Amino acid sequence: MKTTYPTQRRDFLKQLGLSAAAFPFLAGLPGIRSLGAAEAQGGRKRVIFMFSPNGTIPWEFWPETEGSDCEYKRILKPLEPWRERTMILNNVCNQVRGDGDSHMRGMSCLLTGTELFPGNIQGGGGSPAGWAKGISIDQELRNFFQSSSDTETRFGSLEFGVAVPNRADPWTRMSYTGPNQPVAPIDDPRRMMEKLYGKVEDRENLVGIVDSVREDLRRISSRLASEDRRLLDEHLELVHELEQELAREKAQGELVHPVPDIDPRIELVNDNTPRISRIQIDLLVNALANDMSRVASLQYMRSVGQARMNWLGVEEGHHSLSHEPDDNEDAVEKLNKINEWFCGELAYLVERLAGTPEPGGEGSMLDHTTVIWLNELGKGNSHTLNDIPFILVGGEKATGFRMNRHLKMPEKTAHNRLWLALAHSMGHHIENFGTEKFCEGGPIDLG
Amino acid sequence: MTRSHILRALVATIASAAVSSALPGAMALNLEKHPGKAIYAKLCLECHGKSGEGDDDLGVDPLQGTRSIDSLAGRIERTMPEDHAEDCVGEEARLVAEYIYHAFYSPAARGGDAPVSPDLTRLTGPQIHSSVSDLFAGFRRADFPQAFEERGLKGHYTLNNRAKAGNNDFQTEKFEREDPRIAFDYGAGIPELPEGLETELPQFNINWSGSFYARDTGVYEFTIRTRNGARLFVNEHDTSKPALVDGWVAAGNEVREEKGSIHLLGGRHYPLKLEFFKHQEEKALVELHWKPPHGSREIMPTEVLSPRWRHLTFVGATEFPADDRSDGYERGTSVSRLWLDAVTSLAFEAADYAKDNLDSLARTKADAEDRSEKIRTFAAEFAERAQRRPLDEEARRRFVDEPLAPRSEGEDPEEGIRRVVLRSLTSPGFLYPATAFESLETPWARATKLALAMWDSLPDERLREAAAKDALGDEAQLLAQSRRMLGDARARLKLAGFFEHWLQLDEKSEIAKDSERFPEFDETLVRDLRTSLTLFLDEVVWGESSDYRELLLADYLYLNERLAPLFGRKAGAGGGFERVSFAEEKRTGVITHPYLLSALSYHDNTSPIHRGVFLARNIAGLPLRPPPEATEFIDSHFSPDLTMREKVTEMTKAAACMACHATINPLGFSLEHYDAIGRWRDDEKGQPVETRSVLETDKGDRIEIEGPREVASYAADSPEAHAVFVQHLFHHVAKQPLLAYGADTARELENAFREGGFHIRDLFARIGAIAARPQSPTPPSS
Repeated sequence: MKTTYPTQRRDFLKQLGLSAAAFPFLAGLPGIRSLGAAEAQGGRKRVIFMFSPNGTIPWEFWPETEGSDCEYKRILKPLEPWRERTMILNNVCNQVRGDGDSHMRGMSCLLTGTELFPGNIQGGGGSPAGWAKGISIDQELRNFFQSSSDTETRFGSLEFGVAVPNRADPWTRMSYTGPNQPVAPIDDPRRMMEKLYGKVEDRENLVGIVDSVREDLRRISSRLASEDRRLLDEHLELVHELEQELAREKAQGELVHPVPDIDPRIELVNDNTPRISRIQIDLLVNALANDMSRVASLQYMRSVGQARMNWLGVEEGHHSLSHEPDDNEDAVEKLNKINEWFCGELAYLVERLAGTPEPGGEGSMLDHTTVIWLNELGKGNSHTLNDIPFILVGGEKATGFRMNRHLKMPEKTAHNRLWLALAHSMGHHIENFGTEKFCEGGPIDLG
Repeated sequence: MTRSHILRALVATIASAAVSSALPGAMALNLEKHPGKAIYAKLCLECHGKSGEGDDDLGVDPLQGTRSIDSLAGRIERTMPEDHAEDCVGEEARLVAEYIYHAFYSPAARGGDAPVSPDLTRLTGPQIHSSVSDLFAGFRRADFPQAFEERGLKGHYTLNNRAKAGNNDFQTEKFEREDPRIAFDYGAGIPELPEGLETELPQFNINWSGSFYARDTGVYEFTIRTRNGARLFVNEHDTSKPALVDGWVAAGNEVREEKGSIHLLGGRHYPLKLEFFKHQEEKALVELHWKPPHGSREIMPTEVLSPRWRHLTFVGATEFPADDRSDGYERGTSVSRLWLDAVTSLAFEAADYAKDNLDSLARTKADAEDRSEKIRTFAAEFAERAQRRPLDEEARRRFVDEPLAPRSEGEDPEEGIRRVVLRSLTSPGFLYPATAFESLETPWARATKLALAMWDSLPDERLREAAAKDALGDEAQLLAQSRRMLGDARARLKLAGFFEHWLQLDEKSEIAKDSERFPEFDETLVRDLRTSLTLFLDEVVWGESSDYRELLLADYLYLNERLAPLFGRKAGAGGGFERVSFAEEKRTGVITHPYLLSALSYHDNTSPIHRGVFLARNIAGLPLRPPPEATEFIDSHFSPDLTMREKVTEMTKAAACMACHATINPLGFSLEHYDAIGRWRDDEKGQPVETRSVLETDKGDRIEIEGPREVASYAADSPEAHAVFVQHLFHHVAKQPLLAYGADTARELENAFREGGFHIRDLFARIGAIAARPQSPTPPSS
């Protein structure tokens, strides 16, 4: 249930990042909060899910050989500098069947590992379906971290989006807090900035207001009877109080400098996607550095997304292109460019994590983070849910996962078992996740 | 001529001369020789003090008030001196009354020559919300017509006739019709088709659009009940924005409920759109329910729906702290940090709204050549309307030019507009309307006061035109405007607020009853009763005769299917609320409405004292002092065999109590036939209920009360009752003391009220005109 209801005063102050409301995030800043006992041993553990849609071009994605010295192909080239931190995970499949077409199940069962409800949304095939029947792994981990004061953060999880169309259906949602409860990603950097740091530009306006109201009050007071002046004098006093609060806040703000130097104002149009992507990544890394959350997702477009990547010289919609047969060289070339671009965004995210020292800990943030790049399909024109391109990038110490390799699992390994392995690596030892029969064999061994 | 008559004539001359004299000394001198003074010194001074200042130790309050001399005399005769009332009766009582009235009791005496002047006030919470909302609405050419003929919503039907190719490609048939309400169970079938139309598939989508009327300010909860896909947009035309209720994705084919809530300002119409689709699911069902503030959840009724399109309305989400009501009515006479923060918060909300809607507000387009000119014009008009007057050059610089000027090169004009809005809405001229004017005698100041009185808002276009033409100078012009303004739904909101105040509905928002004795009395029932009362008030007030007496004398109630059985009636065939006669139960208007009777009761029993105090003060206009000491009614202190009437009689029998309870008890006892939830009862504790008693008023009237009918009839005919009604309405409308508008204004209004057939709306319009007229107090007539 969504409620549009009066803002409380606290919310308003929170929006401005003022006063007592500022504490929740000040408390989460490096150096202010001491590391918990559990963390002192292993440090923080984080996970980021990055989604891009419509499948990949397998022969330009999967290396020919297994192991550490495999050769990266075209699509993964941008990750080459990070190959020691990267695991290319092959043969992992989304085995969830039932209602919905492949795109819908590919998307809404990707992080949930369970079926969709029968419903009324008709895909390009299959029977109509509704939302997923269970919680997604990111929210499962969020709940796990939030259940302990050592790992609890202000937000628990953050859902970033890039160019996600404003409609809610099984193709646009991968994160679920429970059955029938999809989570909408925030794809407007400005809204995300406000959520994280408050309305920064309004502080300046507030100072301006204070000045002019004071001038007005003085001007008017001089021509009022003394009895009437009392009310305006009180008003003036309150304005003065607000002014002092602003000054104090400014002084504090200079000490901790919690707000990243990012201008989040950007028009949400297709051609701005590359800039939006970078702003969102910067905000994401900043939020994690400030320990506002340990779990995040970054969703590009949506399943069946029709982004027109003019910045790559691709004028056709992404989904339409992905339906073209393998012998359409022009289409394949364009799809390669598109997937290369997504990989480049992943590389940028990794670079930012690697370039940021772990707050209050050792090494870089990347050492304490696992980034998982995923897709709802294995291949666009076959709509297969097999061989989904899973890429893991991050620190080995945090998870115990052995990186720097191309790992081929036995064929058709259910992706539920990957989520079990991820949960276990975070210290969350669950036996099942999603539909039970797909958990057979337990967590896959990535060590 | 008897001695006393001579004396009386003499005193009257002296007194009136004293009051109308410009010299304070003359008054003091004449009163020195007043025969009442000696009597006062002998019988009263010991407790009441030399100048009626009272005595804290004895618990005697200062002798100050608004009673007439007649009323004071009657009261002295009946009750004073305490325990020896027989010592001061007849002419002596009258002399004392005259003396104290002029010496220190009456408002004029207390104020001496200093007139009561209107206080400087700020906008109240509801006023600031309405003003900001209407400020934007004015740029959308919004109208607020109350009357519209068509009811229901327009349905745009699309049927998927035959599959053409693939799952989502159909040959479609379309048609439109108006549906009175949204409650359709199609089963496995399809909507009724217009003649000649056929379809092969039971697949269809329907978009219903139109608007609805929100009577009250508050939270509206909407529920879509469906087996299929549906989403609801409220106060939002752009369906690419998030829906208020999103039930687009179904889970199976079971019936489910999707809810969403939104805060709305009352007295306004809002656009509404419901989109529905049925695909391959077996069955289809869709219902649109709402739960308005104070009301019960129900299928959205036809009466509030209109197929007409409406403009968007800006509704700020900021909550304001409660306004001061220590004067007996809400007004803006104090400021606090919470209030300042709320003002700032609302200003930021409005600034964001202006920014997001700039092109439509300024009537321009993103690529228009004259865009920046249009934006400047909008900024100037916005600032001018917020100050409610034309701006001189200097003010234009402060409110428009300075904030609009770019802070950095290439800054979007939207940021400048945000500053203009912030500047205007946080300015004292906007928040304290009177301070925007050098003089309150300008037509702009009058337009401002009229708009606040009638709508709690800003002048509309017609008022601004009249002010510009200086056509608000005389009473006739003001009255013509205020009568016109009655036709706007915001006047309904204002009047609805008055009834909340007069009937104390705002103080009794939660009524709970003993669940063992009154198992039916749950939250839904309370909301139903409130709706029943609202329907009654709206019918009387907005009906043709708008007769105050009907409020007191009507012998019917509105009941729905849940209320009817509780009050011994069969539910009407039509469902919903219907008017039901209750003549045989002696029901009589608001006095016996079960909502008020329930509110004025204990959780397990009636409360004649609560009911009596309410009737005395708010209905009959019989003034009461505060009780000398707080006394709690504790049921267990009495023998369980006693009736409520016997208990109250026993508890209040002391002479000190009876000074007021002689008035309270007969009024309260008259309602003993109605139990704690307002149902009729013939007996209590095995004894027949006794409602008869005699009420003696201070004027000396002796009213034989059989039941509530006599109380209602008395109030309908009594000048004191009319006066208290006029006074309450005046204070609610003008938010200033009635006395500040001249000593004769009350009488003038009361007379006009009586002569005009007790027309409530007309009284409202007259008060609006008076609130806007020159405020230099007229001297009291002799």
